[in-house]
Amino acid sequence: MIPRLVCGLGLLGVLAAAQDRVAAPSCGMVPGWTQAGDARYYTSDNLFEYMDGNSEGYFSYNFQTMRGVTCKKGDKTFVIDISDMSDADDSYGWFSATRDMRQPAYDVGAGGQIVPRRLIFTKGKYYVEIAAEPEGDHTADLRLWAAALAKSVEGSTSPPSALSWFPTEKQQSLKLAPESVLGLRLLKRGYVAQYDYGKAFVVFEDTPDSAAAVMQKLREHFGDATPAKLGDEAFGTTDKYLGRLCFIRQGRYIAGYSVTVDGMDPAALSAALAAKIR
Amino acid sequence: MNSAPSRRNFLAAGLTLPAVASATRSSGSGQPQSPTPARPSSSPALQYKILGKTGLKVTSVGFGCMITSDGSVIERAADMGITYFDTARGYQGGNNERMVGAALKRKRKDVAISTKTEANDKAGALAQLDKSLSELGTDWVDVWLLHGKGNVAAVTDDLVDAIQTAKKAGKARFVGFSTHAGHAAMLAFGAANPNIDVMQITYNFAMTPEVTAGIEQAAQAGKGIIAMKITSGGGGGGRRGAAPGPPRPKGSQLAAIKWVVRNANVHTTVPSMTDNDQLDENIKAMAEPFAGEDQKLLAVTREIIRPNYCNMCGECDGQCRQGLPVADVLRFAMYADGYGQFALGREHFKTLPAEHASVRCGDCPGCTVECPHGVRVVDRMIRAQELFA
Repeated sequence: MIPRLVCGLGLLGVLAAAQDRVAAPSCGMVPGWTQAGDARYYTSDNLFEYMDGNSEGYFSYNFQTMRGVTCKKGDKTFVIDISDMSDADDSYGWFSATRDMRQPAYDVGAGGQIVPRRLIFTKGKYYVEIAAEPEGDHTADLRLWAAALAKSVEGSTSPPSALSWFPTEKQQSLKLAPESVLGLRLLKRGYVAQYDYGKAFVVFEDTPDSAAAVMQKLREHFGDATPAKLGDEAFGTTDKYLGRLCFIRQGRYIAGYSVTVDGMDPAALSAALAAKIR
Repeated sequence: MNSAPSRRNFLAAGLTLPAVASATRSSGSGQPQSPTPARPSSSPALQYKILGKTGLKVTSVGFGCMITSDGSVIERAADMGITYFDTARGYQGGNNERMVGAALKRKRKDVAISTKTEANDKAGALAQLDKSLSELGTDWVDVWLLHGKGNVAAVTDDLVDAIQTAKKAGKARFVGFSTHAGHAAMLAFGAANPNIDVMQITYNFAMTPEVTAGIEQAAQAGKGIIAMKITSGGGGGGRRGAAPGPPRPKGSQLAAIKWVVRNANVHTTVPSMTDNDQLDENIKAMAEPFAGEDQKLLAVTREIIRPNYCNMCGECDGQCRQGLPVADVLRFAMYADGYGQFALGREHFKTLPAEHASVRCGDCPGCTVECPHGVRVVDRMIRAQELFA
């Protein structure tokens, strides 16, 4: 029994080590590039040393470790880093917070983007990024690296299903808010899509009961809640900064819209959003 | 100067997109001389100070936008009367400036906006400033800082030329640097440098009196002082990924902010605020005095961090049978764990003689060092050796 256990634990260790190796970039992944300096490894204890205040953003999305390497080819320098963000939701969340929705997406992993001096993408629980020097258009090289890294990094290439719930027309951004959705601590975590007329949101609670408790606290927070017959329960309200609001509870989800222009009905928009939740 | 590749150097540079909008300041753009917005009567009383010789009138509690969850929180803060908002080119992959600019659009002339550049040369810095102005939707920033300069050598002549060029072009009203390390040296450097208007530094109740003295010297020289990390890592507000360790007492965050705000030489502060609850809590620091209860809360907090926090009393000198300079090694660990300055701690650890650097306290049969103040010396020594050796 004990030898089996030891053997099993040993196998787990080997698998974990293999997983770690997979998540470490190497300059040899793309021909012609050579490593400059030592490979990097950071945890939440020392990421600050590398990232300065930017590390706070990583921590918000449950950052675990980062492995990186700097590669050179001629006068080009690529700083390549792969971060383990705990799970695919957090990795996609950090990707969604750092991409520029005004720029086109690049089809790599579960979501990616390439601009002249930068590549970011997410695959499984990993967030991959390259910053390129010097000034100029590095798109061709970044594409090669995207393909190579996407092959070596393990994980799902499917984006979170929640993304498909939001209308895409006139969507300016769609990101995972790791805390305080709409600036309200009551709404702990969820996706927020920005449109020119306002925001759509879906907040995740653990259970329908806890979601119902949050709804009750929201009613108390806003004070002038007007009940609506939508979903499991719903209400409308107004706020100086968030505009006209509608909150609908659908099981353990709280969905809705914050509308800041005339001519749009937050209740109708919210009902359509809630109907998409699966 | 450290020439090792650094994400800080590359991060924001990599965000520069081809279509950088022109951000030339238009004539008569009406920069404010003294932003003092009307305050809603329901808001707590606010405290204003003058940011050194800049003459900017700022609330003593400003707003750190780096991890703010929603622009509506920033907009509300401006309506409540907060006048100082801090962001940086690199925050949230470049998206933070856009959120800040959109949130403050309506109040632009009533507030001071600060941003920072991580570039290490003049051309890169000025390109980043143009990008910042474009993203913020403004023709000028009130304060533009060289980001995270940890030593005097990092503030190069080339970068000083960049900030002066930006001032002359009207794109930045006042300029300076931010620093997380080497506070005493950086404060003295900034105080004596006529090209530096403001300094943004780490400052909180857990820091040494030398930093307070350095701030006083710089303020007396007319420099604007902006304090950051003012809750000593305790301002997580329950955030995921916030600093680990035992929970701090309720109210200690507000007490920590009051502790900083009461220092007349600190002109404004930029605590990171995530949501409206945190805003409502932090803003109280301007209305409530630092009282005996706050002192107690910070004393309790100090007790919580005490096992890890060495006050450098020197009582342990000569106690280690291996001859280790215990207080020094504890200080190195504190740089990393207390102030987030891993590099600084490692740099100092590397100056130890080889016979000291090679010691592993975990191998010692029993420690001869006892701290009269309750620091868990063995644990901290092992921690330092794990981190740096």
